[in-house]
Amino acid sequence: MTGFNANLGISIIMTAILYGTPLVFAGIGELLTERSGVLNLGVEGMLLIGAVMAFLVSQRMPGPGWLVLLAAVLVAMAASAVMASIHAFVTITLRANQIVSGLSLTIFAGVIGLSSYIAEDNRIGGKAGKHQFADLNVFGLKNLPVIGPILFHQSAMIYLSWLVVIGAVVYLYRTRTGLYLRSVGESPQAADAMGINVTRYRYAHTLLGGALAGAGGAVFTLQIATNWIDGLTAGAGWIAIALVIFSLWRPELLILGAYMFGAFTSVGFDLQARGITSIPSEFWSSLPYLMTVLALVLVSVGSVRRRLGTPAALGIPYMREES
Amino acid sequence: MIRFKARENVPRWLNYVVPLASVAVAIVVAGIVLAATSHNPFATYKNIVQASLTQPGAFSQTLVTMTPLMFTGLAAAVAFRMRLWNIGGEGQLYMGAVGASGAGLYFHSLPAPLLILVMMAAGVAAGTLWASIPGALRAFFNTNEILTTLMLNYVAANFMYYLIFDSNSYWRDLTSPSARVFPQGKSLPADASWPALQLGSVTIPFGLIIAIGLAVLLWGMIRATRYGFEMRVLADSPAVGKYAGIRTRRKILSLMAISGGIAGFAGASQVGDFSHTLDPRGLEQAGYGYIGIVVAALARYNPVAVVVTSFFIGMLVNAGFALQGPGFPIGLTGTMEGILLFCVLGAEIFTRYRLVFRRQQAISRTPVSPPSPAPAAVGPAAPPGEVS
Amino acid sequence: MMAGQPAVPTRGSPAPAGQATPAVAARGITKRFPGVVANDKVTFEVLPGEIHALLGENGAGKTTLCNVLTGLYRPDEGYVEMAGGPCRFRSPRDAHEAGIAMVHQHFRLVQPLTVAENVVLGWSRRRAMWFSPRRVEREVAAIAEKFGMHIDPAAKIWQLSVGEQQRVEILKALYRGAKILILDEPTTVLTPQEVQQLFTALRDMAADGTSVVFISHKLPEVLAVSDRVTVLQKGKTIGTVRTADADARSLAHMMVGRDIVLARREATPAARVGEVVLALDGVGAMGDLGAPALTGVSLQVRAGEILGVAGVAGNGQRELAEVIAGERPRTAGTVTIAGRPQRGTPWEAIGAGLGYVPEERLGVGIAPGMTIADNLMLKSYRENGHGPILHTKQAMATAAEAIERFDIVARGPKTIAHELSGGNIQRLLLARELSGHPKVLIAASPTRGLDVAATDSVRRLLAASAESGLGILLISEDLDEILDLSDRIAVMYRGQVVDVLGRDRADRDRIGLMMAGVAS
Repeated sequence: MTGFNANLGISIIMTAILYGTPLVFAGIGELLTERSGVLNLGVEGMLLIGAVMAFLVSQRMPGPGWLVLLAAVLVAMAASAVMASIHAFVTITLRANQIVSGLSLTIFAGVIGLSSYIAEDNRIGGKAGKHQFADLNVFGLKNLPVIGPILFHQSAMIYLSWLVVIGAVVYLYRTRTGLYLRSVGESPQAADAMGINVTRYRYAHTLLGGALAGAGGAVFTLQIATNWIDGLTAGAGWIAIALVIFSLWRPELLILGAYMFGAFTSVGFDLQARGITSIPSEFWSSLPYLMTVLALVLVSVGSVRRRLGTPAALGIPYMREES
Repeated sequence: MIRFKARENVPRWLNYVVPLASVAVAIVVAGIVLAATSHNPFATYKNIVQASLTQPGAFSQTLVTMTPLMFTGLAAAVAFRMRLWNIGGEGQLYMGAVGASGAGLYFHSLPAPLLILVMMAAGVAAGTLWASIPGALRAFFNTNEILTTLMLNYVAANFMYYLIFDSNSYWRDLTSPSARVFPQGKSLPADASWPALQLGSVTIPFGLIIAIGLAVLLWGMIRATRYGFEMRVLADSPAVGKYAGIRTRRKILSLMAISGGIAGFAGASQVGDFSHTLDPRGLEQAGYGYIGIVVAALARYNPVAVVVTSFFIGMLVNAGFALQGPGFPIGLTGTMEGILLFCVLGAEIFTRYRLVFRRQQAISRTPVSPPSPAPAAVGPAAPPGEVS
Repeated sequence: MMAGQPAVPTRGSPAPAGQATPAVAARGITKRFPGVVANDKVTFEVLPGEIHALLGENGAGKTTLCNVLTGLYRPDEGYVEMAGGPCRFRSPRDAHEAGIAMVHQHFRLVQPLTVAENVVLGWSRRRAMWFSPRRVEREVAAIAEKFGMHIDPAAKIWQLSVGEQQRVEILKALYRGAKILILDEPTTVLTPQEVQQLFTALRDMAADGTSVVFISHKLPEVLAVSDRVTVLQKGKTIGTVRTADADARSLAHMMVGRDIVLARREATPAARVGEVVLALDGVGAMGDLGAPALTGVSLQVRAGEILGVAGVAGNGQRELAEVIAGERPRTAGTVTIAGRPQRGTPWEAIGAGLGYVPEERLGVGIAPGMTIADNLMLKSYRENGHGPILHTKQAMATAAEAIERFDIVARGPKTIAHELSGGNIQRLLLARELSGHPKVLIAASPTRGLDVAATDSVRRLLAASAESGLGILLISEDLDEILDLSDRIAVMYRGQVVDVLGRDRADRDRIGLMMAGVAS
């Protein structure tokens, strides 16, 4: 009986990590973008672009598997960064409303937009994937009890996501650039007064956010699914945005939240498959969203807000006064 | 270098020319995108016009598509106008559909006009209530409404699915043979079908007529009532609103409620005008709530302009439904909507600012910093004179 | 504006010129803004290791001059001189590199970051990528200790008191090796104990060779801490004296003294002064930064009289206006408008008959993006029209009439407010407030930033309104204006009413002393 439960537990954790990984990528990306003061609601669109471009490359490019996969991820990152640059240009330079621009990006690139356009144009819909990220066997330790599969039997993308999280933590709190980034998002006036180029930081981190979202999208088509369906990300981009707030803009909390949300995505169906139907799966599916609303309320209550870290200048275009 | 400089006075005509010009630019850009991907832009545009206007039945179908878009467009416009970012139109629409279909089923014994009124009321009430949650959170806790409304969209979607796919709820059809194969909602009684106006070969849905009336009403409200005045003041400057004694909290609550109610009506119209049942799949795939935001943004939040933009976007969406294949690639709808939006959004700055070209200033020969005096023993900072 | 000639500069013993090269000097600096000359051929020298006070009323040009010194503004004429040669600063960064740093009245600190993180932000050795919080904290602690400023480098800014936050700003400058430190009205936000701590720290810095420029309008402090004082008045240098050779009276005279007496409004005869329309009793309120802004303020304004509130900006005047208008909560005392006690909300005050011309016009008093007609309706729209519907036609007609009557230069009632010039915006504000037939009007800095013609017309409007029975609370930093228009004058300093003088007892020098914190 114990073995069965342990297996169930490990299975849930593995699923959580798998489904959580695109959330980690997209979430960290959006976190960095928001830390610079820019709100990018186009994550869903950028994820899809990343997914479709990764799949396209993996279908069309000849060569050894690892090279194709590497190229696919890089192309996905570049494509999503280009998407992000549209949003960046329109909101930072042309000072348009960030909310509407982000939504426009999601519509432009999303399930009824460019990603489906590219998919159909290249006729990759429904075709089986040629290259997938397989689970590696790090140090040969995959058979250790419990921690074996969790730590040593993951794919390259998952390990990469862990590196990204660690990198983000180090970047934000231990580098000068990361410190400047935090100041730009909190008080662009103060940062500008100290000679920090607010515009450059915002552009750079919006594009970086896009690139990371592209990597997250690649996970969908190169690991989670084995083919392309229009809109296969099914709202993961929105969850990533919620995650950023839910994690209070801290990368170390974001990865935990991502895995938790990843678990919720599958646990409903998992339990159903095992005959536990008393709580409908829709409840589990709703839980992440309801919890986010709760977190949002907590974060916004007056004095708590300062402590819990909403970047104070988020969403507000910055204009230096002419002297 | 190129800089933006604020215009001293804004000529009135600019407010009309800039959006129109940006639409023209968007059409050209989309054409370029089509051409670059080996589609013939002219043929594609012709197909769009045919599939949405000229072919038999196309115009009526466009009106069908346009109806929910006008509602959700108005819902978004009226909220966004006051900088209340209600992107929960989608979820409020779902709840409106739930409410209206529930009422339609429950009050099935009422005569047609009354039944329809009840459905409308239920739809509006459901949408209003759903929007009042994030509205209250914003009014009392200053919680950002962008994400709260968005999150509730998913909760509403899940709720809808639960009702039809995962429970034996009142809404679910448990008896008919097709329902045993695949879950679906109960069909509403015939009296619950909203009437349509027949003008020659064109069918005008009842909901559309109401929507147009609503647009005019909202336009009038914003321009000519006390409520609209207060709304405009708050939108322009919250500090001025406070100075003038306007009760901000009440405004936020009421406006979110109104916006939600309108979106709820969209849901009711979907049920009453078209689907005659609660159809979660169909509603979710259509995404009318989100497209409504596109409509509102293109209309620059003016209710009367929403009528126009909902028509054109309705054309585009309808063409997307009707055509498939080389004549109209999948994904063109969203791509074109996106291009349109970016062009209109990006062009707005030109109404208030103009480009200024300034020559690089000649570098002066006088020293920027003096030769360093005796360095101060002040910690490990760079001694003065060292360029950092 | 009635132009006055500045008094002949007092000759205290001049600073030992030529004996030491100034650390920094302004040579003939002129800076113009639309409608006003902020600095007019200002010349000013700061020696190494001295604390040099820059004294003057608001509008004297002190802050502008310092903004030129720190590279924020470029002078239209003249130049900044350092180490004997002219300098051109293209941006604050150049000034920073030259060793000049300024601590502004509004701090530029990032609230959620720590002291150490704020100090290290921005210009510094750029090449180092890694940021070690502990190392920086040690460095910051070392500098702080050196100058006797106690601060916890790991504390977050929002946890600190205002005085401590100011210390962080100073540390920012010192960390970068600033040799010339400019402080803009630093004691405004400090408690008396913190003021002493600051002075000690400044003396330590000066002894170490750093030059300190201390902008102030407060005579007791200037006398206490500075070595020399330069006085500015309306953009011109009046003179530079050694503090040891000066006293409060002579400095006050330099600050506000005029030779020519200006035309004044006829005082309202006592018989025509009506009942009390505004009464404050023991009012207290908190400021934005957590320190009390008002303490025990008691005032009365009667119908038909103008009560002027004199004082340098930052001594509680803004908060006073906000408390009366219901925009700021009271912590003590009562406010009564036209006999109605106020709980403290804007709509109550408006309903009781209060008119309010705020200091900040566009963005508080006038909605920038709305038309003239809409703005004129801002307080009366509730009565305008039938029930929920507004009568736009009527509003347009009223607007057209107001434009006529108040001489507002605009194309028509549909003109958008932010397209109007400053003077016309002010006329618009007054048009609205006065048309509402208020019982009492608060006019805060009504002529600030206006040109001659506009100032004149605003003054006439106020005078005429008083004549027709309106009680006016006139808050202004322009002492001339107060003296010309008021029947009685209240002087505010540090959130308290120092005294209320009748017009006959109101002597310029005396008021100057009270404004600067020297009790008579």
